[in-house]
Amino acid sequence: MSAGGLALDGPDAAAMILALHLLALGLYAAAWVLQLREFRQGRESGHGGVRITAGGFVAHGAALALFTLTYRSLPLIGLGPASSSLALVMVLFVLAASIHADLRPAGLFLLPPVLLLVGQAVLVGVGPTAGQLAFRGPWFVLHVTAAFLGYAGLAAASAAAIMYVLQFRALKRKEFGSVFRFFPPLDSLDRLNKVGLAVGFPALTVGLLAGWSWTLTFGRGLALEDPQTILGMVTWGVYLIAIIARLRPGPHGERAAAISAAAFVVTVTAFLALRLLAGEPDFFL
Amino acid sequence: MGEREADGAAMTITVVGANHTTAPIELRERVHVDAESAAEVVSRLVGWDGIEECVILSTCNRTELYLHVSDVLSGERAALETLAARAGLTTSDAESFIYRHHGYETVVHLFRVAASLDSLVLGEAEILGQIGDAYEAGLQMPEGVGPVLHRLFQSGLAVGGAVRSETKLGCGAASIPSAAVRLAIKVFGSLEGRTAVVLGAGDMGETTLRCLLVEGASDVLVANRTPERAAETVARVGGRAVSMDEFWRSLSSADVLVTSTAATSPVITKRELAGARGATASPLVVLDIALPRDVESAVGELPSVFLYNIDDLQKVVGATHEARAAEVSSAEELIADHARRFWRWYRAREAAPVIRGLRAHAEAIRREEVERLLAGLDGLGDGDRRRIEASMRRMLNKLLHPSTVAVRRAALDPGGLSFLEGLRNALGLAPVPPDDAVPPDEAVAPGGVPAPEDGHGVAAETREEREAGNR
Repeated sequence: MSAGGLALDGPDAAAMILALHLLALGLYAAAWVLQLREFRQGRESGHGGVRITAGGFVAHGAALALFTLTYRSLPLIGLGPASSSLALVMVLFVLAASIHADLRPAGLFLLPPVLLLVGQAVLVGVGPTAGQLAFRGPWFVLHVTAAFLGYAGLAAASAAAIMYVLQFRALKRKEFGSVFRFFPPLDSLDRLNKVGLAVGFPALTVGLLAGWSWTLTFGRGLALEDPQTILGMVTWGVYLIAIIARLRPGPHGERAAAISAAAFVVTVTAFLALRLLAGEPDFFL
Repeated sequence: MGEREADGAAMTITVVGANHTTAPIELRERVHVDAESAAEVVSRLVGWDGIEECVILSTCNRTELYLHVSDVLSGERAALETLAARAGLTTSDAESFIYRHHGYETVVHLFRVAASLDSLVLGEAEILGQIGDAYEAGLQMPEGVGPVLHRLFQSGLAVGGAVRSETKLGCGAASIPSAAVRLAIKVFGSLEGRTAVVLGAGDMGETTLRCLLVEGASDVLVANRTPERAAETVARVGGRAVSMDEFWRSLSSADVLVTSTAATSPVITKRELAGARGATASPLVVLDIALPRDVESAVGELPSVFLYNIDDLQKVVGATHEARAAEVSSAEELIADHARRFWRWYRAREAAPVIRGLRAHAEAIRREEVERLLAGLDGLGDGDRRRIEASMRRMLNKLLHPSTVAVRRAALDPGGLSFLEGLRNALGLAPVPPDDAVPPDEAVAPGGVPAPEDGHGVAAETREEREAGNR
């Protein structure tokens, strides 16, 4: 099979996709270790981590582009491709946040889930699944893309929330250590939380609605027993609570951050529980 | 690597000065050279026998005379006498607070000063600007900056910039007012568009007020028990003077509150502040820099209020100093690297006139011998004559090449000056005035970085010399 103009056959392309994933994984890991070291040393975050992350993003993007060209299908189906695509969107949030120098340290919390997702993709393999052809059409692409954007936005909001809570406590308790020095100012974290929710929540809503519409095209209704539906609904619900907490009058900063952080824990717990219960190991859930 | 010739008669760079570690402030004030008198001091020093170039760096913490000298002892004596005269002391009394460095040590010293490793506050940024000003002032004086000090100060400014950008030496807050502002920034990200209120118009309050204005606080109110004092401070620094009544009203919308009164008991209690804030939900950073404290410690229990007193600010400053101290070794490495590069350039530059003299001497002999040879050979055509000329020139170049390399290496060798001086004497070369020096570009390897001192190459082999070796 030819991958566009690259003229790679199936096995060669698969090997290249894997190699690019490994390269991206290594670069993300290096960026995270660098940020961790800066944090432990109580230094302010430098450009190094962002540059390495950007390098990983390029390799990662190239891998998924090659997947699309090789298999003539977007990498949205199957545990490996879907994990990898979600990770790529999350890295996009890391890089977007890093444009604001204050928010470079966000990678400290956003890169570990990226590493887990890319690592998982590498372990299970980034190849097409048997049922690949069944999952096509604009509703499906919109459903998955919007859902990934939603999850990534909410992950960014949660990372900001966790950092906000830790920085708030350090400032209140007058602890001028690593958290005080390395973490961004409260105002910057509050803005990242707001942007993450503002992007993530509507995107997730669109993703859920598109998914429902997609099931209707098969003549089926909303499958409430489907683990993916459950996860989507749980995530949507907890982040709705986080948004309401932000909108309530009074000092909202710490409260909203704490609820966002809790929402993240609930979402991850729900994902892991449903993943264990899910019958189809090849699917994202 | 610094060398000092026994008779002092060698070109080198030297610095003579006094700083905060060697001289008390009373003496530093007396030796200080202001902008008006700098030209006169430089002119007098450069008129002294043995001093070729001079730059004066004079700040509140140091006065240093950087000299490029052809006679180090004479140059240092002139500098010492200049500083002693300004201090109103004899030279022997002045010796106790004046330091001097020669050669490579001078380069390292200036680079350490530029990197703020020699500053009272480690990592402070002001010194780099002061060095830039000193260099610019030297450029304005016809006798001041020549090719050597030009390159030395340019390199110093580059090192200072590199240390600030490549290490974290300049990061963090190093004083109480800057720590206060940093804490506010850790909450708000930036103070632009924020409202700050300063209670008390004392020195510390005024300094903090300056920092708040520099950071872009859009509305800075100053209140004082004596309104006239607040008005004076505002007229001097900026901001807006308000009455005590307005002060309490302003707290409902304030983002930062700085207190620095001379009151002996708290002037702001939790109850009063809670009442003044009302339903305001946005954060308030309270910076109590007074001693005794102006703000009741229970104020910190209010939601969204961050209270810091002078001890807390000291902790931030202490942490900054620790973090900066951890960066010193990285800065020292950068300095050593740049200093070695500069020193190679400088030493290679010293070799150029010797090489030129050596070549001129050999060329004179070659020409004389060729003329004698051709005069004794009749019937040679022009082509034959040219071939003989070319052959002799090639032979000479090949013979001279190892000597040229040896001279270059001697210039890079810490103990090589005596060899160069010996060769210079043997060739009957006079000490070379600075204007006769080779341009810097001729003395450095491609890329501007001198070649390594590794025995495989020479620092400043010119194209002509390389071709001579290949012919």
